[in-house]
Amino acid sequence: MMDPRAWRRFRKNKGALVGGILVVFVTLTAVFGPLLAPHDPNEQLRDVLLQDDGAPVGIGQVEGHPLGADSTGRDELSRLLYGGGVSMMVAYLATALAIFIGTLAGVTAGYFGGWIDFGWMRLVDLMLSLPFLLIAITIRRVIEEPQLWTLILLLSVLSWTTLGRVTRSKVMQIRELEYIQAARALDMGHLRILLRHVLPNALGPIIVLGTTLVARMIIFESALSFLGLGVEPPDATWGSMLNEGRQQMMSFPRLMLFPSMLIVMTVFGFNLLGEGLRDAFDPKD
Amino acid sequence: MTTPDPLKARRRADAIGCLVPLALAGAVVALLAATWPSPPEGPRWRGAGDAEPRSGGTFVFHHEENVRTLDPHIAYDELSGMAVRLMFDGLLDYDMESNLVPSLAEAMPEVSDGGKRFRFRLRRGVQFHPMPGHPEGRELTADDVRWSMERLLSNEVGSPGYPFYSAIEGAGEYHEGAADHVAGIRVIDRYTIEFQLTEADQTFLNAMAMTFAYPVPRENYAHWGEEVKFHPVGTGPFVFESWERDVELRFRRHTRYWDPQPNPDEMVFQENLNRELAALLFRNGDLDAIHRQSPSDYRFFRDAEQWADYRDEFPRVSTFGIGLNCEMEPFDDVHVRRAIAFAIDREGWNRARAGRLLPAGQILPPAIPGHDPDLPEAHRLDLDVAREEMRLAGHPDGLPEPITVWITGQDDTARTYGELLQHDLAQIGIEVRLRFVSFAVYLTESGKPNTAPAFFTGWNMDFPDPSNFLDILFHSRSIHPENSENRAFYRNDELDGILDQARSETDRERRLGLYRQANAIISRDAPWAFTYNPLSMELWQPYVKGYEPHPVWFEDYRNVWLDLPRERLTRRLTGRGASAPAVLFPAMGAL
Repeated sequence: MMDPRAWRRFRKNKGALVGGILVVFVTLTAVFGPLLAPHDPNEQLRDVLLQDDGAPVGIGQVEGHPLGADSTGRDELSRLLYGGGVSMMVAYLATALAIFIGTLAGVTAGYFGGWIDFGWMRLVDLMLSLPFLLIAITIRRVIEEPQLWTLILLLSVLSWTTLGRVTRSKVMQIRELEYIQAARALDMGHLRILLRHVLPNALGPIIVLGTTLVARMIIFESALSFLGLGVEPPDATWGSMLNEGRQQMMSFPRLMLFPSMLIVMTVFGFNLLGEGLRDAFDPKD
Repeated sequence: MTTPDPLKARRRADAIGCLVPLALAGAVVALLAATWPSPPEGPRWRGAGDAEPRSGGTFVFHHEENVRTLDPHIAYDELSGMAVRLMFDGLLDYDMESNLVPSLAEAMPEVSDGGKRFRFRLRRGVQFHPMPGHPEGRELTADDVRWSMERLLSNEVGSPGYPFYSAIEGAGEYHEGAADHVAGIRVIDRYTIEFQLTEADQTFLNAMAMTFAYPVPRENYAHWGEEVKFHPVGTGPFVFESWERDVELRFRRHTRYWDPQPNPDEMVFQENLNRELAALLFRNGDLDAIHRQSPSDYRFFRDAEQWADYRDEFPRVSTFGIGLNCEMEPFDDVHVRRAIAFAIDREGWNRARAGRLLPAGQILPPAIPGHDPDLPEAHRLDLDVAREEMRLAGHPDGLPEPITVWITGQDDTARTYGELLQHDLAQIGIEVRLRFVSFAVYLTESGKPNTAPAFFTGWNMDFPDPSNFLDILFHSRSIHPENSENRAFYRNDELDGILDQARSETDRERRLGLYRQANAIISRDAPWAFTYNPLSMELWQPYVKGYEPHPVWFEDYRNVWLDLPRERLTRRLTGRGASAPAVLFPAMGAL
């Protein structure tokens, strides 16, 4: 199971702590953002938040709208808070699903070997040969009525492969260890061996990879939303807000700056956390 | 000397390791901020100062959508029109005051038989572009005009322009396949052709000036068959060179043009270039003209003193709206359509787009005779009326299902318009799903029955007459299995009757009265929820000469010539539209 020394190592790693704090902060704002948001993120207050020539009001110009408005007169702060929630939800759910598929593939392939292994690994090869963005764009364009869950499914199905491979090699290692042999000698069922003895020992790399996967998911979701293939309008995510801000880049750089800063911060946090976890789980120190 | 504690060193390295990417990110941001692209405030290049018009150079222009076809018999949209106008000529054309003037015809036609017979004399020595079988081109004759008109009227081609010419004697029989030729089109001699109408048609000469009636050579069609839309051959000032689909079209100057005029040697029409990018390219001197701007770019150009001499702002003779397919649920119910028409906050849209969407409540724009500024039926924002209509439709709490609205384009402009509509219709309980399609897909698919339930649409005038809006968009004659221009699939016998009567009415006042009546019926029945008449701003580079926005043709660059400064010419030699212009990245230019 988890090594108690791991936590000590993790705590001593300042980068990981910073990452952890960033992640907790962003996750909390994502979860509670909709409660904190002062306005409906999709309500266009065209009379209040657009000036006479149509320019959106800026930071602190109108009371109650501290970050100003976007180009159709929606409260920028509320959109950022809601958008973060959607971005994070997509990233977490897609990662969870990817971890599930990857672990299932890795554990069964590594433990049973033979044809099961062959089958999973050829599937991994196939998936790795697909250009991620092109496939994602194609599928999003083909689906008539794209919804949030199709985006989640798409992201996870296209990104479980590395996790599957790493888990497989770890499990192949564990399979040969004495306690597994002992468990077999005691005539335990495969399922019990897998769940009680193999999986807990393979958990380290899964957690590490999963953490960095969240970061990648946020990037992918932003990229797809930036291309207009993410969530459906009028809902916001940071990626789609980035896209909307692009039009006003010259006149109102803040509309691009806010979401991009948040994306960078979040991804940075997850990557630091992942690094820290890797060091913590790695006893060869 | 003490040996450093390896563990401590490791920890310090970790702490530094986490700071390195942060520092790097900071450095990148700082570098970007220091070299942030700032295109010049004013024009990058001014003209060389040649007063004498001359040929030469490359003119680069753009549109943000993609061109659908280059076959003038099918093309019926502003983009294809922009390309078609470079390559083809009509018998008649419009001058800058929207008057009909002869073009391929020597003079205006002789009219006889009570306005039912038109005799055109063709100009001699008009040359088609080089084509298969005629590497040097060949002369245009009256036979070509007849062949072109017959192709246009045939059923197989399914031209959306057919209704404009249905008054020609025998056109109906020919269209249905009952005759081999159109009886009313008679070739008198090599340069003379006559059109006989069954009844007087006030808009026949306008129709003859439309791009549909531009003569084409039959050999080219025989050679290319279905593929002809990629290999256009006409008599115009520019010869088609290449078309990289969805990227750009190229044309070169026609050296044997019948009306020799100074022109650029090459024209490049870039498709799918969105308006923000186009504005930046334009400011940087890589694009020679732009015609649509995002609100921020619009505000910039409107206020920029240095561009004052190279811009023109004018209301377009166009009406935009949300087309509602009257054959599809829930828009088969007039009350649902009217509810939508009265829920749109046109003033709010106008404000969000920097004051360029003049609110519209009827199909006829203000510049077209028949427009009624005080039309009682006109669409406007009135949520009480909208909710009452929803109640009459049996949906007092809104529609149970979301509606799907098609919108052209993928970019942020399309998304913004979609969100404006979503916001307004949410007020009466209608949820809107947006479906983003390309302009070419929109044109093809929304012309088929039962395909597009609702869609952002618009109409630019072909000629300044109310029939060009009412007949073509709402007469049941404009409904076909494909290429319908009546995309709302609106059928109303009463309206058809009024329009048919107006078409042959010779008394101007009575005719306008009929169109006013038709205009009111359309607002009442709301096959479109009208939104706005656009205010347009066009800009061109100081060295672009001979260009003035045309009242009838949009972005008509056929008379342009370039007074190119030397720097621009040099850059032409090193490759058009250099990919990383030095001025955009001053730091790179210094290296």
